[in-house]
Amino acid sequence: MSLCIWLVEDDRDLRATLRAALEVEGYRVLASASLADALAVWAHAGRDIGLVLLDLGLPDGEGETILRRIRQEQGTSVIVMSARDGDVHKISLLDHGADDYLVKPFSVGELLARIRVALRHRGNHQPPAITRYRRGALEANLATHQVVWQGEAAHLTPTEFRLLARLVRQAGRVVTHRQLLLDVWGPEFTEHTHYLRLYMAQLRAKLEAEPSDPQCLLTEPGVGYRLAEPDPD
Amino acid sequence: MNALHPLTWLAKHSRQLLPLGIWASGWGAMWLLDGTLGLGNLAMLMVLASTLASLWLGPWVACGSSALAALLFNLLFVPPRGTLAIHLHQDAMLLLTMLTTSWLVTWLMSRQRTLTALAQRHAHASEQLRQLGEAMRAAGSDPVAACAPLLAMLATEAGQASPADCTVAVWLGGPQTATAPLTADEADGLRLCTQTAQALGPGTGRHTEQPACYLPLRGHRSCAGAVLVRLPPAESGPPPAADWLAHAQALCDLAGQTLEQAREAEQAHAAREQAHAQQLRNTLLSAIAHDHRTPLASVLGAATALRDQDDRLSPAQRQALVATIVDETQALVRLTGHTLQLARLDSLRQPLHTDWESVEELVGSVLQRLRRRNPNHKVRARLDAGLPLLRCDAVLLVQLLDNLLDNALRHGGEPVEIRARADADSLRLCVLDSGAGMPGQVLPGTQSGLGLTLCQAIARVHGGQLTWRQRRQGGTSVECRLPLTAGPQPTTHEATTAPAERSTP
Repeated sequence: MSLCIWLVEDDRDLRATLRAALEVEGYRVLASASLADALAVWAHAGRDIGLVLLDLGLPDGEGETILRRIRQEQGTSVIVMSARDGDVHKISLLDHGADDYLVKPFSVGELLARIRVALRHRGNHQPPAITRYRRGALEANLATHQVVWQGEAAHLTPTEFRLLARLVRQAGRVVTHRQLLLDVWGPEFTEHTHYLRLYMAQLRAKLEAEPSDPQCLLTEPGVGYRLAEPDPD
Repeated sequence: MNALHPLTWLAKHSRQLLPLGIWASGWGAMWLLDGTLGLGNLAMLMVLASTLASLWLGPWVACGSSALAALLFNLLFVPPRGTLAIHLHQDAMLLLTMLTTSWLVTWLMSRQRTLTALAQRHAHASEQLRQLGEAMRAAGSDPVAACAPLLAMLATEAGQASPADCTVAVWLGGPQTATAPLTADEADGLRLCTQTAQALGPGTGRHTEQPACYLPLRGHRSCAGAVLVRLPPAESGPPPAADWLAHAQALCDLAGQTLEQAREAEQAHAAREQAHAQQLRNTLLSAIAHDHRTPLASVLGAATALRDQDDRLSPAQRQALVATIVDETQALVRLTGHTLQLARLDSLRQPLHTDWESVEELVGSVLQRLRRRNPNHKVRARLDAGLPLLRCDAVLLVQLLDNLLDNALRHGGEPVEIRARADADSLRLCVLDSGAGMPGQVLPGTQSGLGLTLCQAIARVHGGQLTWRQRRQGGTSVECRLPLTAGPQPTTHEATTAPAERSTP
């Protein structure tokens, strides 16, 4: 049976367009147009749902209510679609359990790419789903602590390795500054963004051909960092 | 406590006791040295005692005591002793010189004392004026709150001038601004004082029958209000001295001028804001009128062609129309983003979300965005090594660079180059193109105009500025100069943890 995607979007035209695009890709689509409708669907059919595309501005309430409900109960992937593009807003969504966000308007290609990444990470609330990463000339194996760049072993300091490892575990997805500082340095360093700048610069110097135009270690301005999607195996 | 009594009594009466002591020791010395020294030298001793005593005595007392001393000297030392008669002319001359010298010294001393007291009063007055000016500037924009230091000073001054309590109140154009409850008479007095900009009450020469003083807060062009000083009843103490009134009026005038300046500055600021808002509105309106319509026309044209002529179009034509729709929609999305951001930056005055950002990262993410839109772009980045971290809003800075690069690619010509270099206190971000160059005057409302207006606004909210010029070899160079502040020093922390950091093999 094909994967079920739950589309929560109040605009009828956008809902129809997205539903058609997703069905062409072979997904089964369940759609809701309001908060009340969505809560009913979640209570009734929540277990079948593999991924949620959530619009935040619903006519009868904030979509964040659903995000909270989903996070209380299970680890279904949630991609938020929002017309608001403030970075503070994005960070708060990511820190509150959204797997990814798309700012409206977006292209179908972009949406499908994000869906693929989210599905690859399904179940990431258990121990890390991804421990190996390969893209272009960069290979990392978290289990053996080996990082290879252009065919040669790269020498990383322990902090550099922990930073890379944290990004590898969520390859293809944004990890917020706060989350990185918390996981790599510890809770008392969550405001020390300048550590990140320094260590990302060092990592790029070691693992990118052109550090000022990186291909793997990507910046999401004002939000965090994203390791580019790995090459398909 | 009992042992202290004589001492405290002494301290209290030192002003009277000290000259007495000086005279006593002077006479003692003269009596002891009588016979050893000549008459002239004894006279010198007396002049010395008289001079010293006049330091502490009032002028009239000093003159009297000098005269008395001269008589006593005559009686005791000038031959024939025991009488006031003088036998020799030179003795008479001596006594006369002695007395004149004493009087002259006394007069000079008292004059000096008066001058010093006057200078001290002036210094105190100008120091108070300076303090009032500072306190009012520090008090902020509310005029009633700004007057609080004035009232405190007037209360202290009036309290010093007359022993009973004085109450003061300010009035700035209406009863609602009064800082104390007023009687109907007082309210009338304050209104009249404000209207005529002249002081009323005792000592001012106008309405002297009033129990209170009314002092206007005069500016250069207008009178902001008035201050009421309630004086104690006439029987409980003397009225305040005339120079108190002059000083109080000087304080009030300074307050009036400060209030006037503050009000004028506020009006000028409001006028500038309004002009700025008007200009912004014009920019946004023309952007919506022109820039949004052009891509919308293309989208509508292509979409209706697909709908109405579908069966007559070749697959290639159909693809081209679809590509037009996608491209023009993306242009519209960017334009909408710019318009919104500009309106937000200029009118809402939202706080920036600043953090320490790496210039290399900002440029990197702009290049990545650009590649998503146009995979074959020819943009080269040349960044100096070791650029310091920049305190900025990353989203805005990326928008600025993205705009400049987009402009350069669209209106300039490839290759386009982005450069970053830092000097002691500023960072310079340059975008250079090699094409036809921007028109000398970029009109607000055109696409590049809106983009550049936004870039200028972003540079401005970061305390920087944007400039552009034609390059000699063709093309345009746009430079954004941003101030650098002392950044955090991550190396200090690393130094303490560095021993644990060893590269993995």
